Amino acid sequence: MSSHLEKCARSLLVCEKSSFMNEASRHETHVCKHSFNYKISVLIPECGVLPADIANVISHFKSYFLVRDLPVYKFLDAKFLDTVKKGGFYALSYKTRIDEDNVVALLSSGHLVLSLDKDTYQQLGLEGKPSEYKHRKDMRYVVTVDLTDKSLVPGTKRFQQVLLSLKERVPLKSDFLLTRCPPGAEEDGELQALLSQHTYEECRPTVISRSLTDIPRPSLHPSDLRGNAHSCTPVQFLEWLGSVNLNIRCNNSASSFLSTYVCPEPCATVNKVLLCTVTGFIPPEDVYALLQELRRCLAEPGFTDWVSLTVHGFADSPVSWGAAEHGFLKGGENFYNLVCFKNQDYWLHMATGSQDGCPP
Amino acid sequence: MDEEPSSYERVAYKNDSVYHYMKICLIFGNERKPLSAEQFKQLIISGLKELYGEVGAAFPFDVLTFDQFVLSAILRVYNNGLVKLWSALTLIGSCENESCAFRVTQVSSSVSKLILVLKSTGTSCRSL
Amino acid sequence: MSVFMDLNILAITDKKKLQSTIETAAHLGYSTVAINYVVEPQQKKQQIPKPESVTELFEKFPIVQGKSRPIKVLNRLTVVATDASHFRPSNEYKSFDILAVYPKTEKLFHAACMTYDVDIICIAVTEKQPFHCKRSPVNGAIERGVSFEISYTAAIRDSTMKKYTIANAINLTEVCKGKNVILTSGAEVPIELRGPYDIANLGLVFGLSEGDAKAAVSTNCRAVVLHGETRATALGIIHTMKRMQPTGQEQEEESPAAKKAKVVKV
Repeated sequence: MSSHLEKCARSLLVCEKSSFMNEASRHETHVCKHSFNYKISVLIPECGVLPADIANVISHFKSYFLVRDLPVYKFLDAKFLDTVKKGGFYALSYKTRIDEDNVVALLSSGHLVLSLDKDTYQQLGLEGKPSEYKHRKDMRYVVTVDLTDKSLVPGTKRFQQVLLSLKERVPLKSDFLLTRCPPGAEEDGELQALLSQHTYEECRPTVISRSLTDIPRPSLHPSDLRGNAHSCTPVQFLEWLGSVNLNIRCNNSASSFLSTYVCPEPCATVNKVLLCTVTGFIPPEDVYALLQELRRCLAEPGFTDWVSLTVHGFADSPVSWGAAEHGFLKGGENFYNLVCFKNQDYWLHMATGSQDGCPP
Repeated sequence: MDEEPSSYERVAYKNDSVYHYMKICLIFGNERKPLSAEQFKQLIISGLKELYGEVGAAFPFDVLTFDQFVLSAILRVYNNGLVKLWSALTLIGSCENESCAFRVTQVSSSVSKLILVLKSTGTSCRSL
Repeated sequence: MSVFMDLNILAITDKKKLQSTIETAAHLGYSTVAINYVVEPQQKKQQIPKPESVTELFEKFPIVQGKSRPIKVLNRLTVVATDASHFRPSNEYKSFDILAVYPKTEKLFHAACMTYDVDIICIAVTEKQPFHCKRSPVNGAIERGVSFEISYTAAIRDSTMKKYTIANAINLTEVCKGKNVILTSGAEVPIELRGPYDIANLGLVFGLSEGDAKAAVSTNCRAVVLHGETRATALGIIHTMKRMQPTGQEQEEESPAAKKAKVVKV
């Protein structure tokens, strides 16, 4: 009995150190493969107001759409399919839980991912594979349909089969969050036209900025990722980031009854810290644009020596990075954090909970 | 550039986080009791003591934040104490003879991940 | 994993209070609850209650937290048996979606595990279980797809019962190896309910593994509901066998089964 009581769920944290200037740097891949982003927060030390250039990039983040009761087979409509094939299309079923319900996601690659409970899977009749995160028996299956596949055009046998499954056998439908980041020029109102037959609302990402004063902050040195001498450890740094976000006091004494949390060493007190958070259904393209702008700002003289960008994924998304399966045991968390330094070095922290693959 | 670009380095930590964090809220069945942060913590300690005895009452956890108006808090606990703290919270059923319950809104191995909760105005941390 | 369920919300006559408890269950994330009618035949020839029609409980069923769909409510009967004569399958049992028995003696426990046509066998939580849960009847029950129930409300109400609940639960999980256990509330008022993840965690205190504990509030409960359905539709099988010489009685038997199927469908 006691063995269960002291065990705790697995968590993974992968840290990378590299430079944006390094040709082999995979920062763009990492950002772009994390499809479903719920919240991003930018932390800039020694800064009181959000620089106009950054605010401008954020104000150009794409709108997203909340569609009610969208049948999944609609993605196979000729018009939808055309749009999906152009790329940059993101969709995620809304208010569905990955450990209880059927969850549907459409990745920008055109892959439609269905994470289904056993009953639905058996009725659907599309081939899939059992979920990697199971207990005793397979209770959840993942079906992936590549909508860009050449054999999947109206008229083919495969197309008919998929349509029959999704339309007749199990008419799956759900509320969806949709957004689109077309690679080329945007055709105005394309998504709206697709959604015209459904009830939907257009939403803007919510932006909140606040300025904090006189708080201790840990010192970071770009070459010391592990926190051996000049920096704190990655785990300590992430804890501090969280404490700033949550307004947690960190000037406690060791004998305090309530809390003994203190800012990790080595640390210094800064005058002000700017914290800006954006919440919504944010496509990775927008995250990348923000990252590029932060890098540009860092290069300007007089700007702080590091900034941090944290990106949280949807807890109930069926995928985390790329098409890697994502589960939910207790927390379902998946997020990454980028610390960018003045010399174009960066640290990347990627964390996943107990039911996730290792980050790429 | 003042420094050479750093060489690539990758480290993977498994279960490196020492702590778990819980976002909780105390609710009452009938009449709400006003509680200070210290009384709030004391209530949890008494729950731990009832379920796990003196050793349970002694193990450390932190009340990182406390909101006395809605009686919500963020707790920090060592990983190996999470299950015990959580189960003690679950089985606390009264406070000063008034029926009550702890609602756990989120549990996480990193505070950074707890941020998600605060955003949502409802109890759900898993949707917008 | 399947959706979260609490298959034991105590049936009380105060409809407002019952509604409020079910609302709280929906708010905590339970997708299905069962209203539990308890009958103790030992006490002054108690009648088997007629369950209230579930559809009349709410005009609009509360929405499950974080989802777009309303909570599903089932009816359950628990027969407290101190004597073999107490458990008598009858038509009155058939008006319930789920059937449970709470055997008070070792003999009855054995019979419940091996032969009774029930979905749930209740484990004592308000007293020290007066007999051992032996391996062979427990395994027999598991093979027949019958589940064991531990409800946690007693453990919240009283510190002595907390000890009984934990001790009886550990004795059970040790024998059944964590299989076919369901965790339910047995709550009378909303404040006694706890969230599904809280209960999955509490399962660890009862000696369940992490996976088994989560299954005890989800997958295993689903199995109980399905078991209840097949118990009801087993009538349908009898029906096909008897087809050679139809009688008027079957039609009567057929209708509750058909009705049940309708209720069960999401």
